[in-house]
Amino acid sequence: MLSRRLAAICLFAALAGAPLTAHAQETLTVFAAASMKNALDDLNKSFTEKTGIKVAASYAASSALIKQIEAGAPADIFISADLDWMTYGLDKKAIAPKSNFNLLGNRLVLIAPKDSKLSDVKIGPGFDIAALASDGRIATGDVRAVPAGKYAKAALEKLGAWAKAESKLAMTENVRAALALVGRGEVPLGIVYETDAKVEPNVKIVGAFPVNSHPAIVYPVALTATAKPGAKKYLDFLRTATALVIFERYGFTYLVKAGP
Amino acid sequence: MRKRIVMLELTPDEWTAITLSLRIALVATLGALPLGLLVAWLLARENFWGKALLDGLVHLPLVLPPVVTGYLLLIAFGRKGIIGAFLERTFGIVLAFRWTGAALACAVMAFPLLVRPLRLSFEAIDRKLEDAASTLGANRLWVFLTISLPLALPGLIAGMVLCFAKALGEFGATITFVSNIPGETQTISAAIYTFTQIPGGDAAAGRLVIIAIVIALVALVLSEWLSRRAGTRLHGE
Repeated sequence: MLSRRLAAICLFAALAGAPLTAHAQETLTVFAAASMKNALDDLNKSFTEKTGIKVAASYAASSALIKQIEAGAPADIFISADLDWMTYGLDKKAIAPKSNFNLLGNRLVLIAPKDSKLSDVKIGPGFDIAALASDGRIATGDVRAVPAGKYAKAALEKLGAWAKAESKLAMTENVRAALALVGRGEVPLGIVYETDAKVEPNVKIVGAFPVNSHPAIVYPVALTATAKPGAKKYLDFLRTATALVIFERYGFTYLVKAGP
Repeated sequence: MRKRIVMLELTPDEWTAITLSLRIALVATLGALPLGLLVAWLLARENFWGKALLDGLVHLPLVLPPVVTGYLLLIAFGRKGIIGAFLERTFGIVLAFRWTGAALACAVMAFPLLVRPLRLSFEAIDRKLEDAASTLGANRLWVFLTISLPLALPGLIAGMVLCFAKALGEFGATITFVSNIPGETQTISAAIYTFTQIPGGDAAAGRLVIIAIVIALVALVLSEWLSRRAGTRLHGE
């Protein structure tokens, strides 16, 4: 009888102690645009090595992420692929005011499956992307919400190609899904970021959209309104030379004046 | 009441999603019917090598994650897929990114729901009635059409309505296989999903949710009524 009670007490103590040990190690949650996956995975590993803080990252379209943060998702940091969704987050008080700064830039490119006959496409005014796709579709993010899709629509409108292209789009819920469609050869063309094209071996870049054909591609980063105190360390880490090296390796343009 | 009706006013995009869903679900149900009848009959009546395997295959879409089924369909029927490339080369049929592909995905996912009630109905038929018909000179097909099928009517109706309702609500396999193209493959479920991803799209999502519930309820009530009528006529109550 005594040993059974002793066993029960030990078990209870062990279970009660477990949550305490879990809290000892802090974890930060980062919600980041899908196109950041490869670079940020490397960066998060580097951050954990340096500070011992674990990072849990969720990658999706910036529109979906800010919606989740607005609904109370427990994220500490938000990295968006365009300024619109960051502004939206600030308006809705889901983002900590004055914590945002511009982190990265990117370029919009036209891609095709690696065995495509296309190459060296001149993208300028009068560019007829619908004709180039012939009977196939053009994959890109949802033009109503996903930043990559919004930039794509803006660029096509500026170049006069939107009217014919609109009905030929295969719109995906994030830019990486569009990349995958082209990589699988399911569509002949796709509009994604240059950094995405670089990490997918099954696609090749066949053209680049002129920088002035769409709003500047800027990735702002900020703390959420419910960020843990330790989240500031992450933002500071993003400003270091280590971060600069990682981002530039993947082809992003680093917009911060790197500190110590 | 007037305010509620105005709020329920649908944009062309939403209307398209509804009519497209209904069309896809109808085509999926009618398309799955012949094979469904055959498979249900085989499983109910015949004993053959591989019967358990067929039974398992039929029920696979019920237990596999829908995205897995969609991915398998993409590998098989996509433009570069094993069967898809053949269909495109030989017949010029393309299923990827088309509503016909969506119908295929829905038919595959809803197939087990069509076969199960049908098989149970076939199994419940009194064999003596079928035997009596054949001793009177009817061949197997005639027995099937005039005795078995009418007797299995309640199960057939139940199966078809379940199949229709499942096809109407299908999402995971469809979006993985034919993605989410407004006017072509954006069904009600895909439209609701898209609207919930767009900040400010909650009102549109809400409207479509109400419509989806109404359609599903109407389908279920109708099936119950039809089933009962068919049962009454069979048993003369």
